[in-house]
Amino acid sequence: MAEIVQEVKTSVRKRTPRKPKKSQIPAALVLTIIVVVIGFYLAGLSPKLPIFWMFGLAFGYVLQRSRFCFTAAFRDPWISGSTSVTRAVLVAIGICTLGFTAIKYGAVLNGADIPGMGSVTPIGLPLVLGGIIFGIGMVIAGGCASGTLMRIGEGFLMQLLVLVFFVIGSLWGAHDQGAFWGPTFNANAPRVFLPDLFGWFGALVVQGLIILLLYIAAVKWQEKKGTAE
Amino acid sequence: MAEFTLDCLGEACPVPLMKTQKKMESMAVGDVLIVSIDHSCAMKNVPEWARNQGYNVEIEEVDDGEWELIIEKTK
Repeated sequence: MAEIVQEVKTSVRKRTPRKPKKSQIPAALVLTIIVVVIGFYLAGLSPKLPIFWMFGLAFGYVLQRSRFCFTAAFRDPWISGSTSVTRAVLVAIGICTLGFTAIKYGAVLNGADIPGMGSVTPIGLPLVLGGIIFGIGMVIAGGCASGTLMRIGEGFLMQLLVLVFFVIGSLWGAHDQGAFWGPTFNANAPRVFLPDLFGWFGALVVQGLIILLLYIAAVKWQEKKGTAE
Repeated sequence: MAEFTLDCLGEACPVPLMKTQKKMESMAVGDVLIVSIDHSCAMKNVPEWARNQGYNVEIEEVDDGEWELIIEKTK
């Protein structure tokens, strides 16, 4: 460490001076007021909207602070051999599994309809093709959907360009999904909802085991990559 | 003990990491590389990769959302 300091001192290149930080407290106060005002405005439209608003803001905050990145989770193991973000995503999926099981099983116990069943989508050719295209796209664009939105908020302007095409692609996709892809390829594709196959507790165990195995694989992958180089 | 700079401002992940990897390969042991980045994701994966390689890394925030990574090739 001492060596580095010396190196920097004797270097010819002038280091970029640290710009004095402006106080961000006034901006924070203004922003808080705007957030509250929008919250009250949304409450007037629908009682559910302020909840979405708060969860959206909280999600964005966590995403930004934690540097959580779904793209990095799938990309970094190949580029740098690091699987720390991959494992973070696996932990997140594990926590989500518990939470969603609680929500859905709670609905069953109350005799209500299970929420979110519209998201149990068919596993067919469009899913595979879309996954590959999305994977290529997100590595080129430098972020998935949530990561792109978060980085625009951070001020990384290149990703405004990504947002434009992200919106175009989403609209186009939503337009053609029901007209062509769905009826053509997904009519007979299986829809898997684990609790239907294994029961509620069984589904939890199966999904937990899969996540655990992936986690172990991620640890092994990093060890292998780390020693190979 | 040469010092190199690498300008990755405006480059999205994973470009800074790959450029750094390439640049580090061409450097001799003891050389120092200063990478300028402004993509928050690169602020995480570049130092992590370099530390896994056993290099010394320092992160300096030169402006809001703009960092300089000082990486010393130690081996």
